[in-house]
Amino acid sequence: MSPEIIRLIAQSTLDTLAMVAVAAGLGTLFGLPLGVFLATSKRGELFAAPAANLFLGTLVNATRSTPFIILVVAIIPFTRLIAGTSIGTAAAIVPLTVASTPFIARLIEGAVREVDQGLVEAARAMGATPVQIIRKVLVPEALPAIVLGLTLALVSLIGFSAMVGAVGGGGLGDLGIRYGYQRFMPDVMAAVVAVLIVLVQLVQSVGDRLARHLNKRLRHA
Amino acid sequence: MNAPVRPGTLSAGALPLSLPEPAIRFERVGKTYPGRRGQQPVGALAGIDLDVPAGTILGVIGRSGAGKSTLIRLVNGLERATEGRILIEGQDVTDLTESGWRQQRRRIGMIFQHFNLLSSRTVFDNVALPLEIAGASKAEITEKVERLLALVDLSDKSARYPAELSGGQKQRVGIARALATDPKVLLCDEATSALDPETTRSILALLRQVNRELGITILLITHEIPVIKEICDRVAVIEGGRIVEQGETFAVFTNPQHPTTASFVETVTGVELPEHLAQRIRKDARPGDNIVLRITFLGENATAPVISRLSGIVGVDVNILAGRIDAIAGQPFGSLLVSVPSRAPESDAVLGALKSLGLKAEVIGHVS
Repeated sequence: MSPEIIRLIAQSTLDTLAMVAVAAGLGTLFGLPLGVFLATSKRGELFAAPAANLFLGTLVNATRSTPFIILVVAIIPFTRLIAGTSIGTAAAIVPLTVASTPFIARLIEGAVREVDQGLVEAARAMGATPVQIIRKVLVPEALPAIVLGLTLALVSLIGFSAMVGAVGGGGLGDLGIRYGYQRFMPDVMAAVVAVLIVLVQLVQSVGDRLARHLNKRLRHA
Repeated sequence: MNAPVRPGTLSAGALPLSLPEPAIRFERVGKTYPGRRGQQPVGALAGIDLDVPAGTILGVIGRSGAGKSTLIRLVNGLERATEGRILIEGQDVTDLTESGWRQQRRRIGMIFQHFNLLSSRTVFDNVALPLEIAGASKAEITEKVERLLALVDLSDKSARYPAELSGGQKQRVGIARALATDPKVLLCDEATSALDPETTRSILALLRQVNRELGITILLITHEIPVIKEICDRVAVIEGGRIVEQGETFAVFTNPQHPTTASFVETVTGVELPEHLAQRIRKDARPGDNIVLRITFLGENATAPVISRLSGIVGVDVNILAGRIDAIAGQPFGSLLVSVPSRAPESDAVLGALKSLGLKAEVIGHVS
């Protein structure tokens, strides 16, 4: 492989990392409150708002049931509005964020619902407000599961980010399509796949480690 | 105190008027859950009249589904009454708003069967939680948590996580946490039901200490009669959402009125005939039989040398078949099964002597 290609692979890896990091960051920023709300707003729950819960739940399901590649194309006008263009790394962040937010929200909803209701009752018995219950009980207790969920979301995002290459987004997917596929350079394709595998492995093992570190439930005296 | 005098069985007005205002008072309290779609509403509690005198420990005992969980949750507003009034230290809390209840709850501690400690927080931080919620300063929190951990004898576990503690230690953390905001009332929801008997005793001793030394009123619910026997000054028996009997523990235990109470109490006060005698016992007397008597000892009589006195006074041989002497709410109580000859002069003399000693004797049957 020429130094030129190696430089391209390095640049594309950085682009992918940037897209995934920004999209995951924004997805968490929007997905965390949305997930917590979904987990606490059914009838009889802390922030009981069944109508809003149903509406947001349906919206989340609609977004999640749209195949990503279709979503990317479908929201191009929205992407142009936000990023000023529909091509390139910065533009790819928009559909990645739109796809990851509901995904992360569902993962966080699941993590929060796993928290023992007895803890919520104990906090209520102490005179905690709903916001205090979320900040001091639900989120800290769900944190190990949230970290595992975010790890899963990151791995999915790495896959999605490769897909935006097909519609002109930057990063490793773009490199693989343009050089590996269209220019018949199997060595570039292999290198792209290898880098993706390493990235996913790294993300997964760091996530697992962090979740284990945060989980204080499994210690023994 | 604790005189074995029976207050009127069912009414809350049975307390002497000289007692100070009760810490908790239920007046004709009822709770009905709205029925789910198309179903009938479900009644959980009805006509509850109950006073928990300040500074005492009152135990509510009942089988599962009797309504005791609902009853205890009415006191801190985790459940709302649908009928009647609830007064806490004289203040009517029935119609408090949710934010009013939040203030109120800071004055009421609660401990739980499954402890409900936060697994993500250390022992120290678990005890600190109610103080954080109440907005206490860092210095105040440190000072208080350290004092409470010393009280429950867990100072050395301060930096541990709940998963590293035994059940008894977890409940001690729960007690420290419940006391953090200096409550006047402590609610115990089956606090020892997940613990082994020995740990149960140590937790009950701690609750007794908290009650005596800090003057905290305790309302506990349980399905375990030994818990009542061990620490409760007063007891209320609940069945089908109603209180069927209440009074001072010793009085209720030694003279239960309601069949449910009797069946609970039997397990701690009852004495069974040994198997070989139980098979041979008859209702009718035949010549040469022995009478089987159940003698109940209350208060100071429980420790008096009754049998030797009996033999001494009437000169009859008393044969002990089974017996138990125990303490209920700190007062001695005993039950003894004995057999004595059924011939007319002797048996009459025995019964007369028992009566003169102030003991309750009941003929169970006859054996040859």
